[in-house]
Amino acid sequence: MSDLKIAVIVKLEPDFSEGNVSYNADGTLNRAETKSILGPHSAVASSAAFYAKVKYGARIAVTTMGPPIADTALQQAQLLCDADELHLYSDRMFAGADTLATAEVLKTGISKVEGGKMDIVFSGHRASDGETGQTGPQTAWKLGFTFLGNVIDYNVDMQNRVVRARRMISLQGFYDVIEEVEAPLPVFIAIDPSYKASFNTVSQRLAFEKYQKEAKERAQNYKQYLKIFNAQQLGVDPKLVGLPGSPTIVYKVERIPKAKASRKAEVVDGSSRDQIAKVAAKMYEVLGGMVIK
Amino acid sequence: MESYEVAIIGGGSAGLAALKQLSNLGKQAILIEAGKKAGTKNVSGGILYSKKPKRGRAYNVEDVYGSVFLSDAPIERRITQYMLHATSGNKVFTMDLTAAHEYQANFGYSVLLGKLNSWFAKQAGESAEKQGGGIVSGVHVRSVSWQDGKTVIETDELEPFEAKAVIAADGVNSEIAEMTGARNKFTPEQLYQGVKVIVKMPEEIIEERFGIGQEDGAAHLYAGDVTLNHIGGGFLYTNRDTLSVGAVYHYDSLMQRPAEPYTLVNALLKNPMVAEFVKDEVAVKEEIDRNLPKEEQLRVRFAVSKLVKTWNELRDAYHSPSARKRLVEGGKYKSEEEIKARLDSVRSELEGKYRTKFVTDYVELEYAAKLVPDGKRCAMRKPYYKNILFIGDAAGRGVFIGPRIEGLNVGIDDAVRAANAVARAIDRNDFSSNSMGEHYSQMIEESPFTRDMKEIDKDYLKIFLDAAKDVPKDIIGQRYGMVFKLMSSGTLRGLAVGFANILGYDRLLPLVESEDTYVQVPIELAEKMGRPVAATYEPTLPTIAQRVAQLKYDDDRISHIKVLDHESEFMKKMVKLCPTNCYSMEDGEITLQHEACIECGTCAKETEWRHPRGEKGVNYQYG
Repeated sequence: MSDLKIAVIVKLEPDFSEGNVSYNADGTLNRAETKSILGPHSAVASSAAFYAKVKYGARIAVTTMGPPIADTALQQAQLLCDADELHLYSDRMFAGADTLATAEVLKTGISKVEGGKMDIVFSGHRASDGETGQTGPQTAWKLGFTFLGNVIDYNVDMQNRVVRARRMISLQGFYDVIEEVEAPLPVFIAIDPSYKASFNTVSQRLAFEKYQKEAKERAQNYKQYLKIFNAQQLGVDPKLVGLPGSPTIVYKVERIPKAKASRKAEVVDGSSRDQIAKVAAKMYEVLGGMVIK
Repeated sequence: MESYEVAIIGGGSAGLAALKQLSNLGKQAILIEAGKKAGTKNVSGGILYSKKPKRGRAYNVEDVYGSVFLSDAPIERRITQYMLHATSGNKVFTMDLTAAHEYQANFGYSVLLGKLNSWFAKQAGESAEKQGGGIVSGVHVRSVSWQDGKTVIETDELEPFEAKAVIAADGVNSEIAEMTGARNKFTPEQLYQGVKVIVKMPEEIIEERFGIGQEDGAAHLYAGDVTLNHIGGGFLYTNRDTLSVGAVYHYDSLMQRPAEPYTLVNALLKNPMVAEFVKDEVAVKEEIDRNLPKEEQLRVRFAVSKLVKTWNELRDAYHSPSARKRLVEGGKYKSEEEIKARLDSVRSELEGKYRTKFVTDYVELEYAAKLVPDGKRCAMRKPYYKNILFIGDAAGRGVFIGPRIEGLNVGIDDAVRAANAVARAIDRNDFSSNSMGEHYSQMIEESPFTRDMKEIDKDYLKIFLDAAKDVPKDIIGQRYGMVFKLMSSGTLRGLAVGFANILGYDRLLPLVESEDTYVQVPIELAEKMGRPVAATYEPTLPTIAQRVAQLKYDDDRISHIKVLDHESEFMKKMVKLCPTNCYSMEDGEITLQHEACIECGTCAKETEWRHPRGEKGVNYQYG
């Protein structure tokens, strides 16, 4: 077990997967009918933290700000990263917070974990319901940590206490440029959605199995690991959180106009041979020049 | 480079037993398994025996896993009936060989390796973890080499690592054996090809049909015309709520008269007796009226699929005492009658509203194939190479005597012997072939299974003679009349077996395992003494494409098999002998489409044959 300390910030979000979303007649999201789950980007952040658990035996705290039911997001994150602690920052006072006010709560909370001595804080790329991608960087700024965004791979040099990370960026008009950076701990990493942990030694695979099993057991009894903090317990400045701490206000949401389709679809009824032959002929025409072996 | 005391390659029942035994002995061991998880690549007939040998000792499954095996492991049914049927057309002559099945056995359970090996893996993995080891799955070992006195293992997925001792449990198509040159690839004379289908059947219907108790099971073996003139036979074993129906044939017999493996299984399924055994009630959906609006067609399709699924699940539950109890105790239904009422109402809704028909047929769940080494012909005499010990199928150690086939328990026994040898080597810090290898080889020599692979057991033979005592000698014919006469007297039998053992299996086998014994004599028996059996329906046999479509694959776009000679006689026969039709002939040349490969190794002899990379290839659900 190393002394690497990690926090992950996650968010409870509406489940946008097929069949789970429900909309109101005016096209807005029906939050009451739509189930909430751990956001997909938060899940990637949790997996990235798990990598450090497997590889460096890191201690992990998963944190979120939200209503009491947001503990399910913490449970789902624990299942992914075998978290040692789950922190929920929940208070009516936090309601109506924009990204900055949320970052204030998260910063205060993270400063409380492990005596404020965090080495790496992970966040997702953005939330699937807000999509601003601001909370992470703002939290990093408030914490005073080096911010590394769009990280697709990272390793920690434990001896020199340095993170080496690869970032997916666009540079001078080129997309998918991979930049390698090095930063001293502590750092804040916003993980790219394409991140996928790979474990390539026997000991990592064994540790992976061990921690994954532990995670399953822990997540079943996640309440044992859960600590809930209200505004008073956190000791936040009421002027900096919730509505009073939020300089941005959403006053109007517009629908994104539907793009014009450039392709034309033709519906073929596949019940008869002739129709199938028509499809085959079309495919033959399109693939004309190609040789399939 | 990371270093481990012991690396076991292959997570079948032998490799897992080695891991468990080493952990029991307090040694650190890791097991590398190519499949997504243990059990996804394994197939067996299968009966798992626990042996009670007359002489010496056997290390059985319950010795390795403890008494929890019988109380907790997902084993299917304890086989209490063991019947051999000689078939010809609609006539069947039956001999009760239960005594042969019980001979030197504590028990024999029907098993499905998907479930069982995953249980073994849980037990062995937990024990290994305590010693700093464990199971690493989804990793395919590419090579074992020796560099500067170190044994280095390279894989397709991980960084190379070092192990002091290696236990090769990578099956009949052992890549470790081949790449190190420890043994040659097996030849058709040394192998059997087995093909099996899993048939669905509710629990209590099995018990009623086979006349067995809740915990009991039946085994039925077939010889005669169902073999389509090949040396070998068919089998049908009862599992908890499925049947294993398969065919096992001498590979060289198939080479002589190539037949698609599935036609052999089909021949068995078409036999009236087997057809009656596998039959069940099957829902057949009515074609959807195409004149209906599209949305309505979709709605009907979903509704019917959902109802048929409910009907199947509910019916399975209704015919299973434990599931019935669960449903009632769980509060979903108030009583068993209520389950029945619901079942009937689903059925009448299907019949009335959607014109679904309920017909007599049978349902296949999984198709599988595997090569089986005949230990009499191919067991490695010294199953080691440098610091690698070979166990189970990898060492060619399977026992075939008469109808009884033992492989799982042989592998487990080998595993314990190998683990013990490795444990001693660790204590002495001597992994040399002279020390560890020889020690293991010596222990293998003492194994009762090794004796079975070398000698005929006269007491076992007597059981067959007793079972066949009512058979008129003229059927057995001039060829065997003398032998039978000789064998029926105790003293003479002793002498004869003694003499036979001097001759050795090499010279005896062509006589004993011949078309006569597997095909001609059974046909004659059935025709002259058999009782007529009629089937009440004709089973709808799935095509091989349908069977393949039912299997689950994680396709590797790179083929794990390379054909070396596209025009060789051997490869041309693969067009017929590949169990999943992966080979075809185009302009006189053989082409391979590996996507449907179920990794049996039938084509291994003349191809560059590797197991697929980690997690890739077929994933058996039943095994």
